[in-house]
Amino acid sequence: MSYKKNWNLAISAFVIVGILLAGCAPIRSAPTAAPAAGGTLRWSLEGINELPALDPPLAGASQSVGVISLVFEGLVRLDGDLNIAPAGAESWDVKDGGKTFIFHIRKDLKFADGSPVTADDFAYSLNRAFSPDFANGNAGYYLSNIVGSTDVTEGKAATVSGVKVIDPQTLEIDLQVPSVYFLYQLTFPASFVVSKKAVEANPTNWTDTAFGTGPFMVKEWKHNQSITLIPNPNYWLGKPQVSEIDMPFIQDPATALKLYQTGKLDIMGTYNFPTDQIPSISSSPDFKQVNQFFVTYIGFNNARPPYNDVKVRQAFAKAVDKATLINKVLEGAVVQANTLIPPGMPGFNESAAKIQELNLAEAKSLLAEAGYPDGKDFPKVSFTINNQDPNYAKIAATLQQMWKENLGVDVEINTEELSKFNDDLTATANNPTDAAALSFYISVWGADYPDPQNFVSQQLRTDVGNNNGHYSNAEFDNLVDQADVEPDQAKRLPMYQQAEQIALTEVGWLPLYYGKANMLINSKVQGIVVTPQGLFPQGDWTKVTVGK
Amino acid sequence: MWRTILRRALSLIFVLFSVTFLTFIVSYLAPGDPVRNMMGGRQDPLRYVFLRHLYGLDQPWFQQYATFVLHLFQGNLGYSFKYPERPVWDLIASGVPVSLKLGLLALTLSLLIGVPVGIFAAVHQSTWKDTSMMVAMLALYSIPSFVMIPIVWVIDLALYKAGLPYLPVAGWGTPLHVILPVLVLAAANVGFIARIMRNSMLEVMRQDFIRTARAKGLPERLVLRRHVFRNALLPLLTVLGPATAFLITGAFVVENLFAIPGIGYLSIQAIGQRDYPVIQATTILLALSVVLMNMITDFGYTLADPRVRIE
Amino acid sequence: MTGNANSAEQTSTFRPWWVYFFRNRPAAVSVVFLLTSLFFALVGPTFYQRLLPAEQRNLRNGVYQDYDVINGSSSAMHWLGTDYLGRDTLTRLFVAVRVSLLVALVVETLNIGLGGILGLLAGYFGGWVDMLISRAADMLFAFPGLLLAILVSAVFGSTARDLYGGTGRLLLVATSLSLVSWPLMARLVRSETLSIKSRDFILATRGLGASNFRIIVWHILPNVTWLIIVAATLDVASVIVSEATLSLLGLGIEEPGASLGLMIFRAVSKLERYPMQVFIPAVTITTLVIAFSFVGDGLRDALDPHSRRIS
Repeated sequence: MSYKKNWNLAISAFVIVGILLAGCAPIRSAPTAAPAAGGTLRWSLEGINELPALDPPLAGASQSVGVISLVFEGLVRLDGDLNIAPAGAESWDVKDGGKTFIFHIRKDLKFADGSPVTADDFAYSLNRAFSPDFANGNAGYYLSNIVGSTDVTEGKAATVSGVKVIDPQTLEIDLQVPSVYFLYQLTFPASFVVSKKAVEANPTNWTDTAFGTGPFMVKEWKHNQSITLIPNPNYWLGKPQVSEIDMPFIQDPATALKLYQTGKLDIMGTYNFPTDQIPSISSSPDFKQVNQFFVTYIGFNNARPPYNDVKVRQAFAKAVDKATLINKVLEGAVVQANTLIPPGMPGFNESAAKIQELNLAEAKSLLAEAGYPDGKDFPKVSFTINNQDPNYAKIAATLQQMWKENLGVDVEINTEELSKFNDDLTATANNPTDAAALSFYISVWGADYPDPQNFVSQQLRTDVGNNNGHYSNAEFDNLVDQADVEPDQAKRLPMYQQAEQIALTEVGWLPLYYGKANMLINSKVQGIVVTPQGLFPQGDWTKVTVGK
Repeated sequence: MWRTILRRALSLIFVLFSVTFLTFIVSYLAPGDPVRNMMGGRQDPLRYVFLRHLYGLDQPWFQQYATFVLHLFQGNLGYSFKYPERPVWDLIASGVPVSLKLGLLALTLSLLIGVPVGIFAAVHQSTWKDTSMMVAMLALYSIPSFVMIPIVWVIDLALYKAGLPYLPVAGWGTPLHVILPVLVLAAANVGFIARIMRNSMLEVMRQDFIRTARAKGLPERLVLRRHVFRNALLPLLTVLGPATAFLITGAFVVENLFAIPGIGYLSIQAIGQRDYPVIQATTILLALSVVLMNMITDFGYTLADPRVRIE
Repeated sequence: MTGNANSAEQTSTFRPWWVYFFRNRPAAVSVVFLLTSLFFALVGPTFYQRLLPAEQRNLRNGVYQDYDVINGSSSAMHWLGTDYLGRDTLTRLFVAVRVSLLVALVVETLNIGLGGILGLLAGYFGGWVDMLISRAADMLFAFPGLLLAILVSAVFGSTARDLYGGTGRLLLVATSLSLVSWPLMARLVRSETLSIKSRDFILATRGLGASNFRIIVWHILPNVTWLIIVAATLDVASVIVSEATLSLLGLGIEEPGASLGLMIFRAVSKLERYPMQVFIPAVTITTLVIAFSFVGDGLRDALDPHSRRIS
């Protein structure tokens, strides 16, 4: 899906990458000789004044996902190197070329309250996640590939036919189409196991004292203020050493920064950082910065003039001086994006960067060829942005001037509130020729999982859900359709790269930059790793400590 | 007496209804579909219809309003769109005492400072003392809180780094946490109150009966205390109602930046997110408090000033 | 005039109101300041730009982004430095003052028009006219002021811009601000009308057979004009501050336009690095607010028939 920053943040927090960004190894906090025991970890949740949901199928915002991942666990998890590691399932078998997965549930797996966990509990949780009650949750998005899942959501079936309990320690999941990345999809909260006992005992408020199979459990949830976690004594890896995690909800990241500076927080900025303050803080050893996989791009309405003309799109793309935008205006807070597949993801192709490179002469001639020499008679267009991210206004203003100076085109900036923006984006997707549809806009996409499929086919294939601008190219479609089902990585990656070449040449998207994760971590916190996809324990949570 | 109270009560109900209706209509006409908002990026048409029905948004507007009013009488404020697990009542119930505490403390402080300053300025009218006091008060009034707070933070941080005693920069829970937010909130109001006080003092001081008192030979101090002051306080009462409202809504910046769990910020955020149940609930609450405050001050006015009778 | 009739000591020197006004030093200074500001706001940018040779003029036009001097401090080229996009601060300041004054003008016109007229009618006619108007005013009074302005701006903001461009946004901001100001004006005017209505000279005029219209326009209106002017001037201060808050929420003037609130809002996150970018617009707001307040007070002192002093 194309815009909903929260979703993307949520997703990006969980993407796993096989290869990390070149030259950017995960930053590990230096291990001490003998880790001090316990300690309270104070870790702020910025950008919210209340946790939107703690029930795993309802996890949307990244902050929810963050806390849920500390309390609950599913069949598999990501480790500090962002690889798939066992969690509730100690091993698994993949059959039928990726269509059938058999999970062997860990023996002695227990909930935090001591009750045993079996395959039935996982099945219960999955069925629950698909039930109509959670229709506005995220199970349908991540796990719709499971056979029979949509039937449950539509009320046609009570349980998901593709989820089968073979015996208390064995769970089988059948997929509709084989998937290379199904295991990654299982690292999202939708499939995490919840305690049937707890839910049925207190259906409306069980999350206030939530517990699962994760390393921690909820001690207290002070609504609108903070949530406090304590170790799960029955965690299968052992009881974590940290004695408490205190997570206040801080709406404004500037506030969180001040709290950190006055010694009231140990970790801040993981969810939102006051980027304007970076130049004054970047010299501090506590400051960590890592590139993320979420790309901010400009989308075009390919179905309506003037952007239905590929030359116009190309002209606009080549007239943008991204270097100035990012280094001067945004003060280097982000990383320039030149390709569809980001650096660090399998399939990244450096040479593709040249396709949309700045070239004023070409830009001008392309525009002239399209029928608007020097911008003459170019229709009045509106560049739409939403008001969520303070950087968008800066970017829009800069681009407006660049297009005016370099192409002679007058672009009007249209700032909308997020809800109206989402509405309009949907309208553009459904009725692109309608007057209400947008001409071009800024949007964001965050990787769900580390696969080019997520950045290529899922964004720009004809009529795909995220393709709000209706970019369409038959050859592109052909290539990605083949690549999507090709099991051999060596064969599919070049196909994606070819498709990428096409899409970039025709400017299906104009990628602008990749975000950077910025945060401050006190050196007394040991055992935490900063990855492009968020904070992870280096091995697992049992090894994390907070010194004096 | 009772008839007046009854009439006031009726007018209160009328005002509340019209406020809810107004909010409802504006929300209804607002661009931005709350269901789409809720669904985020995954626009599944089946789910859209399902959710719309679940929240009763597919009904005609008058039916929606009627349902809303009915639920209101039952004490059911519905569930927040943004926080699907949380009933609106819960969201508000926790926030109200906090905002109330913050608002009342700020109001008290601004009265404690504003009233004497206003009197002082009025007594020394047209001298440099008057002018400089008013300049200070107006300066405080004109600095928006979103500027004052970062400035206060810079000072506080400097204190912290120098090892000196400092105040918590944000948060809520201990008496220390209350100090900075109350100071900032009161600062904005102090100017307003000082000016009102000064103006009403001057108005009273110009009246004939004051001249009479002076002519009688009463020392100025007694004139001020016995005659001017009491009468000058009265107009201040009339602005207390709107001032309270201003404190609660105006506090949203303070609540936001100081991470205080009150309803000020909740209401502003709800508007941006088209969280209708929350918008409705907070608007009603605020309207209720303003009207109640007005009623109280009006009665207070009647008691204090025998010349005034509410018809 | 009534002033004379009441005082035994007052000599027969009846001075026109402006003499009293200009005797009030702060008021006099403020008026000069405001007129100067207005002058500069209107012609400043042109002169400032003309000082440069033609090819360089756009560097100072306040919208041109010079990426090489982003966040620059004051220099020979940019007397007050540049903002986060390399735009000239001084020009933007001039434009922002224009905007603030324009918004204030529009709001007060609406305020006076709506509030003044409705207050007059309510006070004069009483009965159901009064009830209707008073209830409407009460309802809007009860509606938390800023919340209403926010709601209206949030809902109709995009439509306003789509239909009328940047000016549309401006007008919308002004309208929503006046929606919350007019009830107060109406209330004030109504009370004053009530007290004037019962005076002898009105009875006399009626006895002579004057129509209602005549009485209102020729007899009552002149006596409430001072109140209207004073209330409007004093309200300007709060309008300027409210505009800043609306900008904070992204509901006011939009880029690339400039307004004082917007300039502060954009600069405040960089307070510690570039304090001047915050101080310049903030000090401007403060001085405008102070100036308008002193002018309002001065006008009241000079025009209020009750306040003709002996000295």
